[in-house]
Amino acid sequence: MSESSATISRPQRWDVPFDGQMGAEAVARILTIAPFSQIDPSRFPASTSLPDILLNDTGLRSFKKTQVVVREGDYGNSAFFIIKGSVRVALGKDAIPAELLGRRQPEKKDFLSTLRQLWGNARYPEVRSLSRYKAAKSGAAEPKEDTTAIFLHDIPSVLKGGTAVLTAGMFFGEIAALSRTPRTATIFAEEDCELLEIRWQGLRELRLRAPEIKQFIDTNYRKYSLENHLRETKYFKDLSPEELKAVANQTRFETYGSFDWHSNYKKNRDVAPEERLKEEPLIAEEGQYANGLVLIRAGFARMSQKYNQGERTASYLSRGQMFGFDEIAHNWKTKDSVSLQYTLRALGYVDVLVVPTSVVEQYILPKIPAASFPAAVVGQRKQVSDRRDGELSTDVVEFLVDNRFINGRATMVMDLDRCTRCDDCIRACASAHDNNPRFVRHGHQIGRYMIANACMHCLDPVCMIGCPTGAIHRNALGGQVVINDTTCIGCSTCANSCPYNNIQMVEIRNELGDYILDQESRPVTKAAKCDLCVEQVTGPACINACPHDALTRVDMQDTQTFAKWLQR
Amino acid sequence: MAATLSFFSRRRLLNFGLLLAAIGAFWALDTGYAQGIRSTAWLTGTVLFGTCLGLALFNARKKLPFIPLLRAATWTQVHIYAGWFAVAVFLFHTGLRWPNGRFETALYIVFSAVALSGVAGLIISRIYPSRLRLYGENLIYERIPALRQQLQADVEQIIWKSVNETKSFTLARFYETKLKAYFSNHQNTFSHLICSEEPVNDLTEELNQLQRYMVVSERVFLAEVIACVKAKDNLDLQATCQGVLKYWLFIHIPLTFSLLLMGLLHGLMAMAFN
Repeated sequence: MSESSATISRPQRWDVPFDGQMGAEAVARILTIAPFSQIDPSRFPASTSLPDILLNDTGLRSFKKTQVVVREGDYGNSAFFIIKGSVRVALGKDAIPAELLGRRQPEKKDFLSTLRQLWGNARYPEVRSLSRYKAAKSGAAEPKEDTTAIFLHDIPSVLKGGTAVLTAGMFFGEIAALSRTPRTATIFAEEDCELLEIRWQGLRELRLRAPEIKQFIDTNYRKYSLENHLRETKYFKDLSPEELKAVANQTRFETYGSFDWHSNYKKNRDVAPEERLKEEPLIAEEGQYANGLVLIRAGFARMSQKYNQGERTASYLSRGQMFGFDEIAHNWKTKDSVSLQYTLRALGYVDVLVVPTSVVEQYILPKIPAASFPAAVVGQRKQVSDRRDGELSTDVVEFLVDNRFINGRATMVMDLDRCTRCDDCIRACASAHDNNPRFVRHGHQIGRYMIANACMHCLDPVCMIGCPTGAIHRNALGGQVVINDTTCIGCSTCANSCPYNNIQMVEIRNELGDYILDQESRPVTKAAKCDLCVEQVTGPACINACPHDALTRVDMQDTQTFAKWLQR
Repeated sequence: MAATLSFFSRRRLLNFGLLLAAIGAFWALDTGYAQGIRSTAWLTGTVLFGTCLGLALFNARKKLPFIPLLRAATWTQVHIYAGWFAVAVFLFHTGLRWPNGRFETALYIVFSAVALSGVAGLIISRIYPSRLRLYGENLIYERIPALRQQLQADVEQIIWKSVNETKSFTLARFYETKLKAYFSNHQNTFSHLICSEEPVNDLTEELNQLQRYMVVSERVFLAEVIACVKAKDNLDLQATCQGVLKYWLFIHIPLTFSLLLMGLLHGLMAMAFN
């Protein structure tokens, strides 16, 4: 079939296996190792059988002694199972200096490729090269991200904190893979070892169908995420390992809301505010005794205060933030009994750690210097409406929370009083994406500001949840949510999952402009969205192109910078 | 005081200060040249042509969004203030005199037209965006014709329903005589350009006056039609203001290229004959 022919077979989930080197022999060997040997294969449907999952969603990796397996801070889309040997986990934040981890700079277009965009962009929309798809199908796998081997030398001197050893039969990396968050620790080979890398789509299937794996992963998830989180939290950092363990033992792990919150959110988007509040699971209520310090482990929570007949949103909390500390500290210091000043509700899905008040009083508060104590809660407490420079106004907070824009790490915000609708941003976006604009200059508005329909590269990218091939994934270095066009099968799961409608399904064409069809003459579709110009030397072309300072990309966790931009 | 000023005010002050300093420095240079009994025309002319050339590069920059050449917003600021600088140098160059030759007169007019179109563009780009936002729903320019057609279909539906349910023709007759044209085409361009709401207010008032000739049940449909009239007015306003914001460059840019060409010829002639 010639290159110009516009027919290909419809892309399927396992057209491009995770590791082209896996074979039946390797799969058979893995099936003899526990816990895989204990899994009942009949629990898997014929279309996604256990051997098929192992064949297509896993890969065997060998690591030499001291070679880095995963790096703290990188985004991981896979987990590891230790087949042979052992690995060592460097505990604590920045346990190994970043410069020793050999992290590459993000790959950008070179000067010539950049210039080539001037004349080399396609004449038709959504043009794809068929040869790329065919090469991928024939087993010529695409280069994997960052495969350079990095070794740590003189380990005792580079390690700042403690370490833990994981041995054969254990999993690691599943927390980052399942929760779509960066790796929390650097792990390197303790000795020469053999690992099974499982991409998270396969891990999800295993977790779903094999209770042995689910139990193992869930136990690990709770145990390690709890300890890791406490270790990284302000006020807990100075605890000794024994104290930390004692605190961890008494800390409760609680989950509110549903993991796939986006479907509920879409249903409740247009209901009245009070109804929406009722739908949000209550974590702690204003006026009640603060019986524990709430640490947000994952997801988002709304902090609100009673106001007339309703509730006014004061703020939103996300990973790493805490709730109830001011009240507990105040009561301990003044022997007062002030109740919670705010209500905390889960926005979608939230993992929290609850440290009982007695534990906070025993281990945490005595270690805090008097000068670092929070201001008195009663009397001097700032009311929700008393906003100062550098803070978001209540209506903006309500807007962001109600529409879940708080999830954005690179939300496109436009100032409509400065935007002349010249569309230079759209044109720039198109120029940077082979003549295909990847956003729409339209969206929800609050006053003079608009959140445009552009991928926000969410903190919790729910679009990734259902992707059967892992085509939509986080860039390991920058965390941008990007789509691998070669492995995308056009199933629309990501587009349907995106709560913000920021992913489009596009019908692709060949270089001659003909639609590419499958064997049944149906157009082949691919998911397309903003990739934050991850390959462009200038960064996002839209920001660069705006001649009137009307457009920016905002990390909604950095509310100060956003407030400053709004108050320009 | 600086802390209370917004970012844009601080930037405006800084840029204005730099502009004054540049003009002052150029004036000093020009005076120095004049004292040296040298012709200042060459100096002012060269600087003016160079500045205009630099200003024109902004358009080229817009075509290269993926090349790291500073942000377009920075270029806009440079373009605005360098434009004012060019006007000052132009005044130095012409000595505030009307030229005597035909070609120079044409050049004078073209420069003035470029400068005036630039100022007009600046003014509309500061006034129209907020008007677009405050007046009605924010619309994508390319979708306006389709929305207009849809709105007309909606109004006709309302009129049909009104006739069927009320058996009264007051609204239908008014639609035939006045509203059909209003919904079919773009209307009141000039009023929208000068931000006047008079035509839509007049039309709404006229519609309200019809109430006395209607059966009670027809008034419900009247309210719906009035809402459509207002929606159509927003479409027209969006089309007018967005159109002007988009297309003023079609005057400014061709004039700029004419200016550069004529400026080059003027320079060559000046060098040849002096």
